[in-house]
Amino acid sequence: MRRALIAIAALLAMVLLVPWPEGSAMGQLRASVANVFAQPGVWLSISAPLILAAMGGFTSERTGVINIALEGKMLTAACAAYLATIFTHNPWAALGFALAAATAMSLLHWVLTQTYQLDHVISGMAINAIALGATNYMSGKYADQGATELPVLPSFTAGSIKGIPITVSILSLLALLIPVALFLFARFSRGGLRMFAVGNDPDKSRLMGVQPSRVRLSGLIATGIFTGLAGDMLFSSAGQFTNEMTAGKGFIALAALILGGWKPLPAFGACMAFGFFQALQLHLQGMKIAGADLPAEAFSSLPYLVTIIALAGLLGRSNAPAALGKP
Amino acid sequence: MSIALDRLRSSWALATLVIASVLVVVGALVLAGASPSRALWDLVISSTGSASALSGTLRELTPLLLSGVAVLLALRAGLFNIGVEGQFTVGALACVSVALRVPGAGGIVLGMAAGAVAGALWAWPAGAIRAYRGGHEVITTIMLNNVAGLLTTALVAGPLKDPAEGSPTTEMLPASSYLPNIVSIGGLQMSSGLLVGILLACGLWWWLKRTVAGYELQAVGANPRAAQFAGIDPRRVVVTAMLRSGAVGGLAGSIYVLAFEHHFYPGFSSGYGFDALGVALLAGSAPILLLPSAFLFAMLNKGGTAIQVLDQVPKGITTVILGLLIVIAAAIRYRNKAAANA
Repeated sequence: MRRALIAIAALLAMVLLVPWPEGSAMGQLRASVANVFAQPGVWLSISAPLILAAMGGFTSERTGVINIALEGKMLTAACAAYLATIFTHNPWAALGFALAAATAMSLLHWVLTQTYQLDHVISGMAINAIALGATNYMSGKYADQGATELPVLPSFTAGSIKGIPITVSILSLLALLIPVALFLFARFSRGGLRMFAVGNDPDKSRLMGVQPSRVRLSGLIATGIFTGLAGDMLFSSAGQFTNEMTAGKGFIALAALILGGWKPLPAFGACMAFGFFQALQLHLQGMKIAGADLPAEAFSSLPYLVTIIALAGLLGRSNAPAALGKP
Repeated sequence: MSIALDRLRSSWALATLVIASVLVVVGALVLAGASPSRALWDLVISSTGSASALSGTLRELTPLLLSGVAVLLALRAGLFNIGVEGQFTVGALACVSVALRVPGAGGIVLGMAAGAVAGALWAWPAGAIRAYRGGHEVITTIMLNNVAGLLTTALVAGPLKDPAEGSPTTEMLPASSYLPNIVSIGGLQMSSGLLVGILLACGLWWWLKRTVAGYELQAVGANPRAAQFAGIDPRRVVVTAMLRSGAVGGLAGSIYVLAFEHHFYPGFSSGYGFDALGVALLAGSAPILLLPSAFLFAMLNKGGTAIQVLDQVPKGITTVILGLLIVIAAAIRYRNKAAANA
């Protein structure tokens, strides 16, 4: 991991510090990279849903529940926020509904994995399918036909760079605070210790009087809340709901969690890195690099490829929770 | 006494699950203003009620059955091949690319071979990483699915694009490269691709039951450590199981494109690889049961589109039903396993 970080820093320095001639491919790349850094608000708003979902993955996987259902929970939350906004026109009520809907899905996840002891992968797939179908059904049934502008959560301006204001939404701000809070919680609190204990050795935890299923209940409720925030953020940024609007973001968040070694701060860093490349892609669209069109798909597949490489152990040892997926 | 009590309790738990699932679906139908019995009737009639309806269901059945074989094969080795979706996609594109260059029957054979090889290659990293690095195959296959979608999209928008078309797609296959129908009586049509699926399902049953390799695969799936003590190398078995499963997945995509779609475009698979997980779970450990299980999923796919029009029920309801079926199938499986352990 450390070697990878050094490599990234070296690449960035090469792009930014070398005086590439204007108009050359590298010169354009440098301008685009500088543009991303000049608009941290945009960068953060792209990364924030990933960060929030990855933190949801953290609280669940650290207690031992494999969570490939982040995608479905986010999607449910985005749809709930949309429908609640149509009916109440109140973005705060929408946020409440988004949290409730994602938490309900997470509770279903808990029932399936703990009460019914179903395989975590199967229950995750099932929850994704149910979320995909239910959001399609609900939005198809209650979609707002008139294209009125829906109210979303307020944003505020946090300073400016070169006259361009940095707009930050409340949820973006939470995405900065929650990873730090989770780090402190995991490191310094009794609850954090229990979370790690259950995720690493549920049998010993049971002997010590810690009920794994109860700890997992809190972990999954937290997952519901964080993925709910992520889903509400997706809805807020788009101002509407479209089918399958998560478009794999839940899986990218999971990838970031794995890449970050199931730790909140490194996972946060991975999300910011993925967000960086997505923002860069917006700037690079339609640009030729070394005389060839670089397809947008090359950038989009980066998180997935890096994760495969990391799982192959080429970025150092990964340390998954030892009892991930065990009852 | 306690075992009997446990069984009773787990029966209750299972019953609760089934009743809750039925209530959710019926509730959703009522909410949509449709009569549940009417919707069920429409679903059955529009998927099996006439020769053309049945042909449509058999068409859906073909990719579901083939992908189901792929998933079940890996499942018997203790592997979740969630990556069939990606293997299906790269297999289909590889097959079209070959069949566009080699016309006629030769193109069909070479295309299917290319599809199977592409699918196997796409599954290989997941198997190898699981066997030699311990990385969970579910995560790698999910990542590979996404890469497969992006890669094939980039290819059909770029080098493999039909220049005559505005939207990204490959050229259409010539009619000589279509997989022929084996049954074509009036409106009823059944592709020879479905026959391949049925043969593969039977073949898998025979292979698992009667060959050393099949026995080794199931031994590793049941208990890798015990298999190792018996002189089987679990890592080799895991890699080859994933390769075989991927090859079937790639073949499924090839057959789907040769028999039905005749060209490749972004979003080619409408989730057959994912549905196949449900198909395989519902079939349990018996490859022969893949046929009824895939047929049920095919009916839901075909009929779901129809009730959207007939009863104004959004199609998402069938996806919910699929999800609930997966849960119930898994719960039954777990119950049987618990009963076997008791």
